[in-house]
This record gives sequence, C-alpha cells and structure tokens, in this order.
Amino acid sequence: MRRHWGGPCRCVPPRVLRGAKQHRGLHRRQAGNAGKAAERGGSPLPGREGWRCRETPGEPSPGPGTYQSWEPRRQRERPEAGSPGRRRGREEKQPRTPLMSGARGPGRMAPTPTPGSYSPKWGRGPPPCPAKPSTKATIPTSREGELQTSRRICKGGAGGRSQEPEVPWRAGPPLKPARRNCLEATPLGGTRGCWATGTGVAVWLCAAGTQLSVAPTSCPGNLPSRPLPFLPPLLGSRSPCPWHHVRLSRSHDTLAPTCFKAKLHRKRGSLTTDGASALTRRTSPAMGTYTYTYTSRPRALPCQRRRYRDNLMEPTEEPVSYGNIMYDRRVIRGNTYALQTGLLPGQPDPLEIQRQQQARRRALARKRAQEQLRPRTPEPVEGRKHMDVQTELYLEEIADRIIEVDMECQTDAFLDRPPTPLFIPAKTGKDVATQILEGELFDFDLEVTPMLEVLVGKTIEQALLEVMEEEELANLRAGQRAYEELRNAELAEVQRLEEQERRHREEKERRKKQQWEVVHKHNETAEKIAAWAFAQRYLADLLPSVFDSLRDGGYFYDPVERDIEIGFLPWLMNEVDKTMEYSMVGRTVLDMLIREVVERRLMMYERKEDEHPSREPEDGLGGPGAMRDLLVGPEFQEQNASQSQRPPPDRDFLQRTPYDGRYLEKVSSQERNLMEEGDDEQTEMRKSLGKEEL
Amino acid sequence: MPLPDSTFCAQQIHIPPELPDILKQFTKAAIRTQPADVLQWSAGYFSALSRGDPLPVKDRLETPLATQKTDTGLTQGLLKVLHKQCSHKEYVELADLEQKWKNLCLPVEKFRALLQLDPCENKIEWIKFLALGCSMLGGSLNTAMKHLCEILTVDPEGGPARIPYETFSYVYRYLSRLDSDIPEADTESYLATLKENV
Repeated sequence: MRRHWGGPCRCVPPRVLRGAKQHRGLHRRQAGNAGKAAERGGSPLPGREGWRCRETPGEPSPGPGTYQSWEPRRQRERPEAGSPGRRRGREEKQPRTPLMSGARGPGRMAPTPTPGSYSPKWGRGPPPCPAKPSTKATIPTSREGELQTSRRICKGGAGGRSQEPEVPWRAGPPLKPARRNCLEATPLGGTRGCWATGTGVAVWLCAAGTQLSVAPTSCPGNLPSRPLPFLPPLLGSRSPCPWHHVRLSRSHDTLAPTCFKAKLHRKRGSLTTDGASALTRRTSPAMGTYTYTYTSRPRALPCQRRRYRDNLMEPTEEPVSYGNIMYDRRVIRGNTYALQTGLLPGQPDPLEIQRQQQARRRALARKRAQEQLRPRTPEPVEGRKHMDVQTELYLEEIADRIIEVDMECQTDAFLDRPPTPLFIPAKTGKDVATQILEGELFDFDLEVTPMLEVLVGKTIEQALLEVMEEEELANLRAGQRAYEELRNAELAEVQRLEEQERRHREEKERRKKQQWEVVHKHNETAEKIAAWAFAQRYLADLLPSVFDSLRDGGYFYDPVERDIEIGFLPWLMNEVDKTMEYSMVGRTVLDMLIREVVERRLMMYERKEDEHPSREPEDGLGGPGAMRDLLVGPEFQEQNASQSQRPPPDRDFLQRTPYDGRYLEKVSSQERNLMEEGDDEQTEMRKSLGKEEL
Repeated sequence: MPLPDSTFCAQQIHIPPELPDILKQFTKAAIRTQPADVLQWSAGYFSALSRGDPLPVKDRLETPLATQKTDTGLTQGLLKVLHKQCSHKEYVELADLEQKWKNLCLPVEKFRALLQLDPCENKIEWIKFLALGCSMLGGSLNTAMKHLCEILTVDPEGGPARIPYETFSYVYRYLSRLDSDIPEADTESYLATLKENV
C-alpha cells in the first residue's frame, strides 16, 4: 500500500469540517453505548484510550483472535451496510472476500463515516470514554475525522485522478447522508474500537474510510489499491495505542489531524507505532471552532536503528520504539506526479491484480484461521502416533489400484580397474650406441667394497652389541648369584643367630624360673615363720587361760589321787563297813550271850535267893563295857547308812560331758563336798575305828 | 639370462647365507676372547670349528685383558677354555695341548716352564696340568685352589663354586706335594678338617 504524502495535507480542512459535523451525532450515540457497556461490566477502559484504539485502525493484531472477532461482526454488518452501499455501484465491485465484507459494509454507506452495524460485540463494548464525559463529544468527531482522513488518503493513494472528483463530494451533498449515517453507525465504530479488539475496529474503520473516500471519486481503480482488510490481522494489537495522547476538546478541526495520525499508524503497522504522534501535531488552523490540545510530550523521533544517544533523549516512560516512516514500504517516495496511475490499455489493471491478490491472500488467511480454529485431535501420547483411519460407513474397494509387476535388473559385476600403465615419457634426445666388453663395467673389488663394508661393519657392530648384551646379562646373573650366595650365607647366619638367641632365651627362662622358685620358697618360709611366731604369740595368752579353765573344770587331775578317790576309798569304806558289821554282829551276839547269861544268872540268883534271898548282881561282865558298845553302835550304824545311801558320785560325774560350766562347778563343788565329807567320814571312821579298836 | 656368467652390478654379487652368521659368531668370539694374535687364534678357532671340537672361546669377557707382556698371559678364562677343550679326556697329549696353548696365543715358554714343575712324558693328566696352571695364576696355594674350584665347578657363575671333595683333595695333595714348604701332616690335617665340614 502506498500513500501519497502530499495529498492529505491539501485536503484536510474541508474534510475535517464535514467530519466534525458528522461526528456530533455519532458522539451522541457513543455516549449512550458507553453507559451501557459500563453497566455490562466491560472493562472500564478510559474513553480516551478506547478512542485511541479506534483511531489507530492501522494496528490490527495479527493473531487469530482478530479474525474471530471479525467474523460475527461482519455478518451483522452486512445487512445494515447494504442499503447505503448500494447507492454506489462502484463500491460493490470491491473485494468480495468475507474479510473484506467489513470493509464493504462501510463502503456502501459511503456518505456515513462508519458502517451502521449493530453487532453484539459492538453493543458489549464499553463506552469509549466513560471517564470523561466532556470529551465524549470530541471523540466521535475525531473518529469521524479519522474516517475522513482515511478517505482522503485513499484518494491520494489511488492517484491523482481521484483528487478531482473528491472535491465536490466533500463540498456539499454528502454531508447530510453522512450525518444521518453517523447517528446509526457511530456506536458501532466508537465502542467497537475500544472493546472487542482494537484491531478489528481499526480495520473496519479503515475499510469504511477508504471506501468512503473512494466512493465519490467513482474511480474503480483507486479503491483496491489499499488492502485494508489485510492490515488489521497483520498489524493489530489489542493494546490501546499508547502514543495517542490526543485530547480533543470539542474542536472538529483538531480531530482531523489526529485521525490522520491514526491512519498513518495503521498503515505503518505496529512497527512504527510511536512515530505518529509527531505527525499528528499538525493542527488545522482553518477550523476555529474547536480548540486542539495535545497531551503528548515533545520528543525526538527516535530512529529505529539507534546509533548513539541511546537513552538520553528518549523519554523513559515510552519504551516502544518508533519507526522511521521513510522506511515504510507502504509510503511512496519520490514525485507522485511522475507516478503512472492510469491504466495502459494493453495491460491488465494493476489495481485489479492487486485486488485479486488481496482476495487470494484473504482467502488464504481465512483458511488458515479456520484451520487454526478448528478443534483438533489432541496430541498423541508419547510413544504413539496418529494414524489415518477410514471412518466411512461403507467400505469401498479400492479399484484404482495400479497393477504391479516385479522386474529385475542385474548389472554386471564391477571389474577391477586395470592397473594404471606405467608412465613412460616420450623419448627425447638421440640414441647413441657403444660397445662394452666383458669386465669393463664391473670391477668386483670395487663393487664389493660397500657390501663388504656393510657386512663387516654390521657384523662387527652386531657382534659387539650382542657381546655387550650377553656380557651384561651374564654380569647381572653372576651378580644375582653372588647376591643369592651372600643372602644364603646371611640366612644361615641369621638362622644360627636365631637358634642361639632361642637357646639363650630358653636358658634365661629356665634360670628365671629357678630363681623364682627359690624366691618363692624363701617367701613361703618367711611367711611360715611369721605365722608361727604370730601363732605363738597369740596362743601364749590363750593357753594358760584354757588350762586354767580346764583345770578349773576338772579336766586335769592326778591319776593316783583319782584312782584312790574313786577306786580305793569306796572299797575301803565297804571293807570298813563289813568289818564294822562283823564287829557289830559279834557285839550283838555277845550282848545277847551276855544278856542270856545275865538272865540266867539272874534267874539262878533269884532261885538261889529264893534259896539264897540275898545274892549279889554280877557287874563285872556286862556293866560299863556293854553300855559303851551300845552307845557307839547306833552312831556307827548311822554313818554306814549315810554312806550306803549316797552312791559314789564320781563315776557319774566322769561319765558326763563337762561342758557346762555351771554343772562343772556344781559337780566340782559336790565333789569337793563329797571329798570333804569323805574326809570327814574318814576321820570319823578312823575315830570310830580307833574307838572300836580302843 | 642372456649373460649368466658376467656380473654388471653389485646386486649380482651373491653372499652365501651362512657367511654372516659365521662371521658374526667369529667376531663375537674374537671380541670376547681378545686374543693377542688374532690370526693364530683364528686358525685354532676355525680348525676347532671344522673339527667340531669345543671352540677356544672364553665364556666371558675378561676385564684384565691381554696382560701377556707383564706376566704369563695365562688367565682364568684361558684356563677355562683349555679345560673346556681338554677335559673330556683324562690324559692329554702334550703336543695337542701345546697346539691348543699356542692357539690361545700363549707363549710356549710358559708352557714349558709349567711342565717343568711336574715333568712327564708325552702325556699328562689333565687335572694335574690344570692345577699347575692354577698355581701359576695366583701366588699362594689358596688362590690356586680357588681358581681351580671356579674352573671345575658346575655351578653357575657367581654361585658357590662347589666341586667334589675327592677332586679337591686330590688336587690339593698334588699341589702341596709340589710345594716343599708345606709339610704333609698339615695337608692331611687340613683335608681332614675339611672333610668333617663336608
């Protein structure tokens, strides 16, 4: 697409005027829509931004999303746009592709700046400027202005031809219908641009604009020159164009330039987005009714290829790079007058060709979009792949199968390449012959010398080497053997020493053991002696006490005494008893005899007395002696009785174990008593015996 | 072949294949033996080679080389060579021995002087001659016996150099008998002590 730069400038004022008027109506509509959109919860884009989007129709988003948004709207548009479009038969010829239909719609409504399509999306779109009610009025106008400018540019692009007819259109009649259309159509354009996709709107607007402009000219060749519908998908970007800081305050005049700017943007594409603001600064002085304000800060137009001054001049808040319009391929450079615009009779109309190309491209793009939109089979799982399967209801034999026949073809085996023949250079020079006799050429002694040298030299060298080698080996072996000999000797010595050491150790052990035994014995003896001494000392005190106690206990006695006490005395007593008994018996018998005698004597005496009345008693025989015997007798009997009553206790005592001390004491005391008694008895017996003997 | 009997270039010279080997062996033997008169020694070498006798070649290169000018020229190596050549017979012909002596480039006067120690007719017991030679090598009886042991031993070189006691006692008696300084009793006592150790 090429635009003529010169054109727009010239045309601006009148168009702007008209656009402004038209936009008033448009604006009214937009305001209403804006309110609606806000209610529906659409994104509350500030009106200005939304407007910006609309203004920059040149930036369509290339993504498929734009197509989507496009299609439904297009369909809606068609019926509406149809009526105005029909007025101009020329526009009907314009691109028939569905994409172009959007453009076609507005084209038909040529007098109206925007196509009057009430697409649902349109309705949904938020109001272009909900935030600023005051500017609302300006916004639609600006849009209108844009349309107009686009129209104008179109004309320019179409060529010089179109300029002439455009004037009348601008000047008068179309104003009315334009405004009328505005009322209907503005809501579409205005909200549209803000909302659904900036691109879509832009495209649509552009299309409308172009066709609008074309229509009055009624020049068929011009129209197709601009492939507007294509641009939107290519250039579209949903983001609102940040570089349009145009504040439009009611002035229709100012609108025109902004619109123009917008156009530029669109044409240049997304690459050169920022550059436009500079261009838009132009204000049209002709229109006095509106004040033009422009918010963008002054800045240099940065070159896309920066050489230097990287960030110094460039405002930091706008990161987008500007493009140089001079490199835009859609801008025609050079003299426009020299450009051949008309068709040569023989050639096909270049515009026509372009249009066809456009149509083709559009169809292609649409197909691509559809392909992309079509739901697809999900990607196969890893390790598998999709295969084509016949899903027809009825199987069909493949009849057009080509009959195949196997054929064979055997090439000859490769033959070995024959060896390259020896290169024999061509003979040069002259042949000369001479006679050589036998022995002339070969002298054996001479010829054999090098061989002999080699032979002898090599032999000697080799022999020397071998001898040296063998010598070395032999030396090594000899050294090894000598070393082994030495080692053996040393080993023997070591063994000998070890043996000696072992013997020494054994001897030492033995002696140590011996000494140890001696020491052990010595210790033992010393211990024994010590124990003996200790025991002696310990027992020294013990023995007397033990002996004392034992002696006290009566364990130690004189055997003779004891024998006398136990054996002799009782026997003696018995003998004494017996003797005394004999004597007693004798006495008794004697007493009895005496008594008898006495009695007899008495009797005899009495008889005698009777016979001899006075006879004397016989005193001599039994008087005092008898009396004494009688007196002694009872005593003695008592003693004997006491003795017989008491059994000798000594024997019993001896038989008892004398461990009880008390018993011992008792026994001893008894014994003592007994002994005393014995003594007493003895004395008594002796006395009595003595008495008896006396 | 058009001209079979004529040679034109060095490539045509034919070298007998066994020549290099013979030459090499000969060179090695010469290097090892280091004869004073190479020619005479070569004559002996090749005659022995042709007859198949043991070659008059030293087993080892001897470091004290060619001392014939100062002393007898007889070395242990040479004696060993002689022993190698003659030990297969108990008695050796004097003429043969002299020839061998000469082939080893040893002076004949020394040979004669050696024989005068134990004069004999025509033949000599080889072991005796060897003992005489050993006595000539070193001054004392001990060194002579040591050389003899090293020559006679079958142990590898550098080893203990053991020889049978009978041989030793025989040679020892022989040598001590020649030496008038050593009394018979000493010899016998020494041998007796030695026998105990063995």
